Amino acid sequence: MPTVILMDVSLSMTRPVSLDGIEEFQRKNLAVHGLNMLFEHMASNYRLEFTALMAFSSLWELLVPFTRDYNALQEALSSLEDYDKTCVESALNGVNNLVQQEWGSACPCQLVLVTDGSLGIGKGSLRHSLQTLKHRGDDKKFPLPFPFPTKLFIMCVANAEELQMTDAMDNLEELLRLSGGDGQIFTMDGPLCMKSVQGMFGRLIDYAYSPFHAVLHCGNLSSDVQVFPRPEPVVMDEEVEPMPRTVNVDEVGTGATDELEEEPSASQMAGKSPNFCVLLHGSLKVEGMVALVQLGPEWYGMLYSQADSKKKSNLMMSLFEPGPEPLPWLGKISYLGPISEAAENPYGEDDSKSPFPLQPQVKRSYAQNVTVWIKASGLQTDVQKILRNARKLPDKTQTFYKELNRLRKAALAFGFWELLKGVADLLERECTMLPDSAHPDAAFQLSHAAQQLKLASTGDSQYAAFDHNIVPMHTDFSS
Amino acid sequence: MKMFSVAHKTVFVVDHCPYMAESSRQQVECDVLTKSRAQGVIPLAPVSKSLWTCAVECSMEYCRILYDIYPKDKLVNYIVSDSEFHILNSWRREDQSTHELMSALAAVGPPNPREDPECCSILHGLVAAVESLCKITELQHERRTALMDTAERVANRGRIICLTNAKSDTHVRMLEDCIQETILDQNKLAAGSDRLMAIQQCELVLVHIYPQGEDTLVSDRPKKEISPLLTSEVHSVRAGRHLATKLNILVQQHFDLTSTTITNIPMKEEQHANTSANYDVELLHHRDAHLEFFKSGDLHMAGTSTRENGLKETVTLKWCTPRTNTIELYYCTGAYRISPTDVNSRPSSCLTNFLLNGRSVLLEQPRKSGSKVISHMLSSHGGEIFLHVLNSNRSTLEDPPSISEGCGGRVTDYRITDFGEFMRENRLTPVSESTHDPSGKLPAERAKAQLERHTRYWPMIISQTTIFNMQAVVPLANLIVKETLTEEDVLTCQKTVYNLVDMERKNDPLPISTVGSRGKGPKRDEQYRIMWNELETLVKTHAGATDRHQRVLDCIIACRSKPPEEEERKKRGRKREEREDRTEKNGNKETDDKSWQESERSVGLKGLLDKEDQESEVIKDSPDSPEPLNKKPRLTTEEVQPPERAKGPVSLLTMWTNRITAANSRKHQEFVGRASSVNNKFELYQHLKDENGMDVHENGKASR
Repeated sequence: MPTVILMDVSLSMTRPVSLDGIEEFQRKNLAVHGLNMLFEHMASNYRLEFTALMAFSSLWELLVPFTRDYNALQEALSSLEDYDKTCVESALNGVNNLVQQEWGSACPCQLVLVTDGSLGIGKGSLRHSLQTLKHRGDDKKFPLPFPFPTKLFIMCVANAEELQMTDAMDNLEELLRLSGGDGQIFTMDGPLCMKSVQGMFGRLIDYAYSPFHAVLHCGNLSSDVQVFPRPEPVVMDEEVEPMPRTVNVDEVGTGATDELEEEPSASQMAGKSPNFCVLLHGSLKVEGMVALVQLGPEWYGMLYSQADSKKKSNLMMSLFEPGPEPLPWLGKISYLGPISEAAENPYGEDDSKSPFPLQPQVKRSYAQNVTVWIKASGLQTDVQKILRNARKLPDKTQTFYKELNRLRKAALAFGFWELLKGVADLLERECTMLPDSAHPDAAFQLSHAAQQLKLASTGDSQYAAFDHNIVPMHTDFSS
Repeated sequence: MKMFSVAHKTVFVVDHCPYMAESSRQQVECDVLTKSRAQGVIPLAPVSKSLWTCAVECSMEYCRILYDIYPKDKLVNYIVSDSEFHILNSWRREDQSTHELMSALAAVGPPNPREDPECCSILHGLVAAVESLCKITELQHERRTALMDTAERVANRGRIICLTNAKSDTHVRMLEDCIQETILDQNKLAAGSDRLMAIQQCELVLVHIYPQGEDTLVSDRPKKEISPLLTSEVHSVRAGRHLATKLNILVQQHFDLTSTTITNIPMKEEQHANTSANYDVELLHHRDAHLEFFKSGDLHMAGTSTRENGLKETVTLKWCTPRTNTIELYYCTGAYRISPTDVNSRPSSCLTNFLLNGRSVLLEQPRKSGSKVISHMLSSHGGEIFLHVLNSNRSTLEDPPSISEGCGGRVTDYRITDFGEFMRENRLTPVSESTHDPSGKLPAERAKAQLERHTRYWPMIISQTTIFNMQAVVPLANLIVKETLTEEDVLTCQKTVYNLVDMERKNDPLPISTVGSRGKGPKRDEQYRIMWNELETLVKTHAGATDRHQRVLDCIIACRSKPPEEEERKKRGRKREEREDRTEKNGNKETDDKSWQESERSVGLKGLLDKEDQESEVIKDSPDSPEPLNKKPRLTTEEVQPPERAKGPVSLLTMWTNRITAANSRKHQEFVGRASSVNNKFELYQHLKDENGMDVHENGKASR
């Protein structure tokens, strides 16, 4: 999950911190120290994460666009300049644009707002923004909540008492609520010093940036893995399942499918002893297979080898939506059994076939020849089809009756008896218009079909049964 | 959408009273005469649908779309009402299909215009609808059972869609009041029953249908709350096309659907097969497929347009000529079922058939300028078409590290092919729920158990294993992991073991890895010891499973151990071997230093040694021959090794010396001692031993 660091560089951040007169620090220095600590942690534990650094006062500036280069981020921190007053709203607009341009609105994003808790005065201050929240036009909407899923962490280089003396804490809490409530406000414990800022960023790291370790099992084979980005908890239905689902231990079984879904992740570490992940990856790649992975009760995903354009490849995990049947064409995962139990190999002895995809029990409307007469053209087409075949009797006897029965069924279901009579009339007319050269069977079939339709149109249960079909009249002109 | 939102249960209540037999007055010309036939033919009078027919076909269309997109757990109960109510299906899953409903509707037939209007009322159906909403569905039952102590989380909500011809607004209000009262009554009843649930929320959608050309007697009214349990809305619609549009909008609202129009679909003309024109096809699907557009407010960019009466919006996406570039598919973030709006139109069926035949279509956002952005893909899986959402933004997964940079990434001899074979043996296949024995393990659990068995002993790299590099072990290795063995399986395993014993007796080389060990690696009998140990390890992990597994282990243990007297002899032999070992070690040092010499010599001796090898095989190769008295002859074959080791790059000097040696050797007869030497050694005074009748084979074949 990408991170945006939003750093307050207003004048108030330059306020000195009294440290028993030994050394003089500004709040800014403490903030930079804390951020450096975060960057160092990420460089060693989260190096695949993208982070951007944005500084703001009344204006905002993107100092480092999204990068995995933590040196660049630290360098930018070391050359921060001081500006005027704090204006959170415009900075949030900046974050909104930055994230959407880079990742779109579906990618969840973390925002770390580093401030001293003095949130500006007058117009542009957070207080002002929040007070005017309800009196805005569509063009000047408050940027929160962001369109993308957001985790908001507010790092206050101030202690809680200080913030509670003014309305700063209330305003920050309101900000967190507006962003969707996912996140936390961190304040400093005790006196403002290097140690307490370390403590505060340490708590952020534990809360949001701890590496995700898991164990991948395949029977008795296993491997410790780290997953990037970490799989976030999912709430499926807050009513029936209010507890979010989280990933604990991974388990893997192998399956052969060919589809791809959401939220993939990569795993890695270092060393020279054999690792199951590497073996699995190699074989998945060579065989072109994917492995089914179980992440929890009724939560599955798949593992596969993904290669980028530079020929590097890694083991990827895609998580499916939690549930017993995440991909309908595989059926229920719990009902996938080993092929060794099947009477004959469902993949064929030479891998020439596959038991997948499963077909649904009932075909979808577009896969069966449904009759819809909402538009007049639909009805006209069906009638014309019958007439076209009627003129080619007896060659087209089968098609003629097939189309006739389709129309008959629909007309009976829709209670459209008038149509049955109408088509019967049309068939009788066709009968009278048959050329002299016509096969004698044509006339027999036409009048037989017309008579059957008329009988059906009376609603008489003997002739109007839905499952009944009009069968061709038995004639014998061979002799 | 919550699992048990009002969308879980929909009751259609359709008016079957005599006035519904009235004509909608929308006429359909179904006798389209071609010019050539027109002369003298009186065209058939146009037909017109009754209000009933209009109501039924539009409600069926609603159900068709619903079932296409939610084949499961969005349920419809269809009721018609005249002098009494007729329930055409139940909440049961097998009753949920348009075919079932059409069949039941055919049995009902159109309203009887001669029936006494005084006895007929939509109310019968509405009361039945409320009763039906109290009935528990299979899903509700399953979840209640599954949640046990928190069963109250399973809600009971539902929607009633009433298609009728109301008399007035007062009449509508009377219907609402009646439903409200019925809900209260039914909820009391439900409280005392296991199979009923009280209604927590009911949404009434009343659609008043009136013929074309008439003024409506009922006014439209947006959703309003009648009580905390009941909301109601009224739609007053003319029969025919308008009704169809209305129900299409309703199904979208009720089930969070939205519309996408695929434009620029090239399609062969029916009449002129060699030309093609571009067509549009409208599809409905869950609105989450356009979440990105909706959230970013980028709808304009995506080409939305408002159509017809301004009530309906569609997102336009452009057809891209099919191609497959798998990298684009990695960022697929969701797949949603579709249903064509106009299912049997020619463009729709051309598109859906194309997709059902296994082709995929990438869809592009129409943009005025700039690069082409592919945002969606249409593709089918198992007879169902899905709209796939592709990530068109930068991905956080870009540039992942190579797996070779990680743990175990530098190891090069993974058993990749073997594990591929392992995966193929452990592939999964669907098991039908009906054949599953509910008291037994679920198929997936059996698959996991199989994985567990198959991995009890599974070395990951080639140099860690001997037995899995041996073709001879395959039959046993494949069988021993089975849950149960047949008598025949045991026999096969035993045969495998005997075969290995035989190999050992013949001194066949083993594929022992020499990685990490200097020189030629462990000695032959040490190699066999390693192999037997490994085989025993493998079989031991399964021996506890059944008696037959145990018998395989017993067989191995029995076969690898020698009878006591032989052990004795072997011990004696080993002492001597040790002595020799020592000398050999010294020799090895020397040979290491002068390895070129050795290889040179071995090349020179190759012909002779090969000959010797053949001879020794003639002696020992019959499996029926008795055990050799002493294992010693092995040494001979052991020494055959050097020529093999001498493979590899040959220096010019070596080649030259070889040639000279070969040339020289042809010029004289080789000393008997050198020609039949073992490791360049020849024991003198052998005849003394022969005379004593001891240790005939001490120096290989010399005495024979």
